[in-house]
Amino acid sequence: MNNKNPGSDKAIVVARGLKKHYRRGIETIKALDGVDLEIHAGEMVSILGPSGSGKTTLINLLSCLDAPDAGELQIDGRSVAGLAEEDLVKVRQGILGYVFQKFHLLPTLTVAENVELPLMFLQRPVDREKTLGVLRMVDLENRAGHLPRELSGGQMQRVAIARALIADSKLIIADEPTGNLDKGNGEAVFALFRRLVLEKNLAIIVTTHNLALGALADRVITLEDGRIIDERVNRLV
Amino acid sequence: MRFVAFAFKNLFRRPVRTGLTVLAIALAVAVAVSLIGFNIGYRRSIDTSIDKLGFQVMIMAKGCPYEAATMMLKGGTGLVYLPASTYDQVRSDPDISAITPIFVGVAEKEASGISGESGSSFAIISGIEVQSFIDMKPWMTMSEGAGYKGGRWFGDDSTGEVVLGFEVAEYEQRKVGDAYFVTITPYGQVEPVMTELKVVGVLERTGTQDDGTVFMPIKEARRLFNRPSELTIVGFKLKNFSGLALRQFEQRWAKLPEVQVVGLQQVKTTLVSLVETAQTMIASVAVVAIIVAVIGVINSILMSVFERTGEIGIMKAIGATRSDIFQIIWLETMAICLGGGVAGVLLALSGTSLVEKAIQSLIDFGTKGTMVAITPEVMLVALLGSAVAGCFAGLYPAWRAASMRPVEAIREGE
Repeated sequence: MNNKNPGSDKAIVVARGLKKHYRRGIETIKALDGVDLEIHAGEMVSILGPSGSGKTTLINLLSCLDAPDAGELQIDGRSVAGLAEEDLVKVRQGILGYVFQKFHLLPTLTVAENVELPLMFLQRPVDREKTLGVLRMVDLENRAGHLPRELSGGQMQRVAIARALIADSKLIIADEPTGNLDKGNGEAVFALFRRLVLEKNLAIIVTTHNLALGALADRVITLEDGRIIDERVNRLV
Repeated sequence: MRFVAFAFKNLFRRPVRTGLTVLAIALAVAVAVSLIGFNIGYRRSIDTSIDKLGFQVMIMAKGCPYEAATMMLKGGTGLVYLPASTYDQVRSDPDISAITPIFVGVAEKEASGISGESGSSFAIISGIEVQSFIDMKPWMTMSEGAGYKGGRWFGDDSTGEVVLGFEVAEYEQRKVGDAYFVTITPYGQVEPVMTELKVVGVLERTGTQDDGTVFMPIKEARRLFNRPSELTIVGFKLKNFSGLALRQFEQRWAKLPEVQVVGLQQVKTTLVSLVETAQTMIASVAVVAIIVAVIGVINSILMSVFERTGEIGIMKAIGATRSDIFQIIWLETMAICLGGGVAGVLLALSGTSLVEKAIQSLIDFGTKGTMVAITPEVMLVALLGSAVAGCFAGLYPAWRAASMRPVEAIREGE
């Protein structure tokens, strides 16, 4: 299967024969069973599939939160297979932004402080102007001083996206980012992803159950039983 | 934002739990600080009170020397007397540089009613030989304020004259020239006799038992108590005071019947050791309290870590290393322990007078001065101790949090 998007020039993610198996009692669950994938800068890829198809496992491997049992995985040109947890953190830092289904903002921090949180771990100085610039990008500049509980679900997810952008990440991985949003907010998030791909030349990988939203990506990959069963290019980058 | 600020914000998520944990540490620290302060203050107080007795050695009737010394420091009843001839025998000793005889008696005193009390109270009467007494205590001077002007010592042969210690005059609201009534039951008689005396002087505050004493000529005191040829103690200073000189002095005068020689340094050491047993027991309770409080901190932080499992996973996902997570949790523990330490020190400082009252009511070997001295060094030790407790208490919860695998932590948190 040819996974390469012919219009792109730089692969941010290169996966070859990725496998991840779990044991449940005497049974072995093949969560991923040989996935080949390339994702390039300026490309938005959606991963579709039913529950248990391996979407989250793939996302966890691509975001270096977990290590594959077999296969080769490169993130921004760096091979990550076999790396220890601390080394995987270093790969994530500054390259990868993560957006979760349940937003996961810290309740005691303001919107601006939540956005700046990755900078604390990267030991980079906080530039409030830059934070406001990122919040402006997600239309939440006027909410910088608010606490998460004062925001709607859609707004919280946009804050989470701003948090993923603050460290100038090259790759954003979003796991079911619209799962807790209504239709309108879900479409707004996808529209924002699309804008970020175009304006900042980011690579974005997004998992979703929503076929209509998934179809908004440049490329749609469908997983089933840990394998890619379909891949459709909507738009050449 | 730095880790410290972040850790602080996390603590305010559960303010009641954090507050209670800080309170537990604060109470344990307050107990420990008060105890250490008591240890220091009591020793100082004993030192000052004994030094201000003015003499290094005393001769007194056989009995418990420490009880007698306590009586001299604090006042009390159950006095025993020695023959006045002892004074004449001992004064010829070549090693003595100064000597003063003292007769102490306890008089009944009608309550003044100033503090709303009723019934009677006691007045400690000290019969002295003026010149030798003030040679021993050169710091004793007459008050000069309004109403105290013209204060003087009485003559050794005068009658019906008294000099009041500062607190007696203040409590009884007596000035120079006022009358002062005491009721004494003379030795061998049953009926008490009320006597009117005239205040001829009021002493400046000394911070010792002398502030609560009524001074009169020794002859007059003996007469009023009907003990014309008895003394309570004879105080000495030796020309070259040392352990050896004291021992030699003791050996020379131990031959006198019904008499004992007591060095005040020895009294000091014994008084301190008498309360050390109680201090050790209370210190053990304080140590247990601190251990319980530290376990409480570990429990509280662990609960917080488990509650925030998902959040810790998220922080790892967005770039936190194991070391980052360890530092955050460890700083939270440190903040709780240091906060408890600061609150405990403040609590101890504000409760000093209460602790003093409690100790004075429980321990009979007290003194007049401040008994709890919370010095800057004690406060520093308390804060350092809290920090060290925080260091250790934070290790396990921080390690648990840092060891969480991000994928599992996020999954568990959802």
